Amino acid sequence: MNIGTRKILDRSFTAVGIGSIITMALALMVVVVPISWNGVGAVFFTGTVEHRKMLYAEFNRGDSQDLSSEVASSERYRSKVYELLSTFEAELETMAPDKKMEYTSKYSQVKIALQALLGPPPGDTAPMLTRFKYGQTRWEKAEERLHELLYESKWDNSNPEIMGKEYFVSRAVAFEGTSLAALFPYVKYNIEKMLLPEFTFYWGFITDSSVDSHFFGGIWPEIKGTFFLALGAMLFAFPLGVIAAVYFTEYAKPGFLNSTLRSANSTLAGVPSIVFGMFGLAFFINTLKVSESKSVIAGSLTLAIMILPTIIRAAEEAILSVPKTYREASLSLGSTKWNTIPTVILPAALPGILTGGVISLGRAAGETAPIIFTAAVSVGSAIGLADVFSSPTPALSWNIYNLASEHEAAAQIRHVQYGMVLALLTIVLLLNLSAIVLRARISKKLKG
Amino acid sequence: MAEEMGKESNRSNAFVVSARKRAFQKATKTAGEGVLFAIASFVAVMVLFIFYFVARDAIPFFQIRGFTEFFTSSNWYPADEPGEFGALAIIYGSLMVTLGSAVIAVPMGVAAAICLSDILPFSVRQYAKPVIEMLAAIPSVAFGFFALVVLAPLMQNSGGPMLMWAWWILVSPFLLLASIVGSDLLTASIKDEKRRQQLYVLFLILFGLIAVVLLFKVGSVLNSIQIITGTNALNVAIILSFMALPTIVSVSEDALQAVGRDIREGSYALGATRAETIIKTILPAASSGILAAVILGIMRALGETMVVWMASGNSSHIPEPWFNYLEAIRTLTATIAGDMGEADQVTGSARFHVLFAMGLLLLIISFISNLVSERIVVRQRKILSGQ
Amino acid sequence: MTTDVTTTSESVSTKKATRDIYLPPERKKVTGGGNPHIVAKNFSIYYGDFEAVKKVSADIFSKYVTAIIGPSGCGKSTFLRAINRMNDLIPSCHTSGSLLFDGEDIYGKYTDEVLLRKKVGMVFQKPNPFPKSIFDNIAYGPRLHGMSDKKKLLEIVERSLRKAAIWDEVCDRLDKNALGLSGGQQQRLCVARTLAVEPEVLLLDEPTSALDPKATAKIEDLIQELRGSYTIMIVTHNMQQASRVSDSTMFFYEGVLVEHASTAQLFTNPKDPMTEDYITGRFS
Repeated sequence: MNIGTRKILDRSFTAVGIGSIITMALALMVVVVPISWNGVGAVFFTGTVEHRKMLYAEFNRGDSQDLSSEVASSERYRSKVYELLSTFEAELETMAPDKKMEYTSKYSQVKIALQALLGPPPGDTAPMLTRFKYGQTRWEKAEERLHELLYESKWDNSNPEIMGKEYFVSRAVAFEGTSLAALFPYVKYNIEKMLLPEFTFYWGFITDSSVDSHFFGGIWPEIKGTFFLALGAMLFAFPLGVIAAVYFTEYAKPGFLNSTLRSANSTLAGVPSIVFGMFGLAFFINTLKVSESKSVIAGSLTLAIMILPTIIRAAEEAILSVPKTYREASLSLGSTKWNTIPTVILPAALPGILTGGVISLGRAAGETAPIIFTAAVSVGSAIGLADVFSSPTPALSWNIYNLASEHEAAAQIRHVQYGMVLALLTIVLLLNLSAIVLRARISKKLKG
Repeated sequence: MAEEMGKESNRSNAFVVSARKRAFQKATKTAGEGVLFAIASFVAVMVLFIFYFVARDAIPFFQIRGFTEFFTSSNWYPADEPGEFGALAIIYGSLMVTLGSAVIAVPMGVAAAICLSDILPFSVRQYAKPVIEMLAAIPSVAFGFFALVVLAPLMQNSGGPMLMWAWWILVSPFLLLASIVGSDLLTASIKDEKRRQQLYVLFLILFGLIAVVLLFKVGSVLNSIQIITGTNALNVAIILSFMALPTIVSVSEDALQAVGRDIREGSYALGATRAETIIKTILPAASSGILAAVILGIMRALGETMVVWMASGNSSHIPEPWFNYLEAIRTLTATIAGDMGEADQVTGSARFHVLFAMGLLLLIISFISNLVSERIVVRQRKILSGQ
Repeated sequence: MTTDVTTTSESVSTKKATRDIYLPPERKKVTGGGNPHIVAKNFSIYYGDFEAVKKVSADIFSKYVTAIIGPSGCGKSTFLRAINRMNDLIPSCHTSGSLLFDGEDIYGKYTDEVLLRKKVGMVFQKPNPFPKSIFDNIAYGPRLHGMSDKKKLLEIVERSLRKAAIWDEVCDRLDKNALGLSGGQQQRLCVARTLAVEPEVLLLDEPTSALDPKATAKIEDLIQELRGSYTIMIVTHNMQQASRVSDSTMFFYEGVLVEHASTAQLFTNPKDPMTEDYITGRFS
């Protein structure tokens, strides 16, 4: 090969490497950016008067006078809508039977769409589920619902070769000639006056409990549950891991026993997380019976076993990086080995041990599979410290799965899901970031 | 004797203590070390417990149903009465996404590791490392959510064009490179410089044309593909590859760093380019460490639960044709996660035990691959230290 | 048993005066010393099967400075570290013969190595203060041995720092991290830290090899200050240093104690031709 080709190959080799790193950075961005962007929308959004009504009724938050004047002004514009409806209902009675049949079904669709947009009509019996008690609380959802009210969606399946295509038919045209035709332009042009959108900073998303399986309210029970689970796991795993690391670095003598223990450690690190979940169910709940059924303590213990190898490894590394001279100095001053460890070695290794601990804490907070069978429930109120031995808890990681995959109206509460993912990501990434900063500061300090 | 000892230890400068005190010291030391050992062996005990408790609930399944059905049938109807427990399609699904993610993650991960250890200057590396750590830190459920809510609809709506663009972006540089190298190699034996250059250009144009035709033909085929469901094996494989990447990168980087500088310098001194040095001397020396990294990364993908559960479609069948990554599949981990809820109300049924059988299978695979990768790393360390 | 001994340059014979050797200065008188403090009898140290120190017999006199010289790998550090049993950290290391300190066997069955090390302090090649404050570094030893009274600790810290001739430099920043000191200051801090546990013997393992000449001079001055109060043993590869600071010198070669004599005699009139070759620089 001539030298030019060799150089081209060399450059492209470099390009492949740099390309992969850039791809990884992009992948990180592609995952984190949409989640952050949409997740922030759970807290900052354009809220409607319905949102403020809901806050006042469910959480007793907001100014009742402001609210009642707002409600009054929106009612003024809404009353026209209900007038139009009753006019049309009267008109419907006078229609020919076949025409009446046709319009009745169309009219019921309109009523459903309208109710979704504005909430139940006045005088109706209050619905059982909270989600039906209010109209659209978020403006961007209200706009979608408005579109559903104005246009009927239909599917074009004429070409069997390709997948069906969606198209829209204006309802105003469908009701042409009836008194209801006036409704659509009226709603379209007065929707803002009926819903009074304004910029909302809903901090309660973090601190409120959920209402009606996360249709409204916040994610406090999940955040609290996640903290309980992760901190509980640390409480078990951290001391155990550090002591085990001390044994491995300071006392273990090379040999079969020691290498077996080390193999066990890496085996434990490689066990799939779902197997930890099964083990937690079979051992902590079914055999040890630490609790009747799922509980925070069982989940914490399971997570503790999962993060133990990580903590041991980090602590071992930190202890090994303590200079040998510290040990010698301490011993030469008449200290025992037993005394040297807590007074000299552990303090010097502490930042490294803490870094490992913080990263493990993040891992425990983010892991889902081990808590599915041992600790997590999808709906529940925030638990207190006294309940950890007996009751399960909602947790961020589990409820992200649950709301996104199993919730009956997953598509309607995307903002809550995004908000939860963002909350979890923030917790985990902040923990990791602090570990990175901590480590950078240590290496600076050790350099002097 | 004891009296004498007592006298001795009363001396102001004595460092010799009585036999009893010495024995007591020894005993406390042994006891202390014993306690430490007991705590350190907790991990080993837990590993044994995990094997025992998973196997304890897995063995009844094989006693009831035998091995043949589980490993050879792909009829998975656990809820029927009597149920059918053919896990072949599920095992196949696990292998499929694992293999798919390995195909993406291994070349990328190794290239990134080489880049980090040999190519990038330290100042850039400082910023690249946190990126990898962050990627490793993102919880699997967040990846799963992304796969389900962002990537799956995107694939479903514009999967064809996405595939086409991916094909173009990924393959065109390689085809260009292949044409250059090919024409160079084909003309290398010609002595006359002028003729050689003419032929070189000719070959280059010829190969270039073939490459362009190939790019557009395959591109248009890909463009016309309609992806029926966005929750499919490809989606999962892509996301799993991102999750396996950090492991592969960091472990292979360690392996590459372990190769000494003298080996590099020796190769550079003989006039090799950087790429040649890396491929011909450093990679072979670090190959076993990289292999260990690949095994660990693949295990991460095989053992992952949330992403596959949320975004694989959970359909227990072998795709048609068998390599079709655009179909929904189902994996071992997702089956365990999904079915345990329904099964554990009837503890003791085959439906409950079959899930533990799957867990045992995963456990055994992960155990073996861990042992293998550990052996490989130990061997590499021995070779590099010249033993 | 009060014997006033002065090791002076009077005994230097003039017949080898052509040698370029720094002759020791006039020394202050030592009171109450001169009796054998550490006695080795056929003492050997092994690393596994390898005999690193071979059948050494020597008396080391109290309150005097004894230097150990020899080419690198000759066992001089190993011998020094044997005296406070620092070699215990190396698993394969074992000994034979006897090494007595105050008439008691250091490697005896009933020896408490912790009590021993309290009596036999050590300063290492590289300054190794703990990453703690200066105060905590000095107070580490006394605290270990059960002192917790803050006032007393402060007293000990000040006394030790003064003895180590570093008090004036650090008295206003006792709470600052010890790693912020210069290398020479760190080494004197390590000496002070050792003095704080009130040892009888001070082992110095090449204490100046990591320091610049100025810091080295300060350490050597410090050794002169401490002479007469502690039994000091110093391992050095610098023959000038040995001749400057020590009263007697041991020359090791391949684990064997070749010659042990007063410094003046060893440097001016060595008995063994090997010693002569070494101190004249024919090998190193």
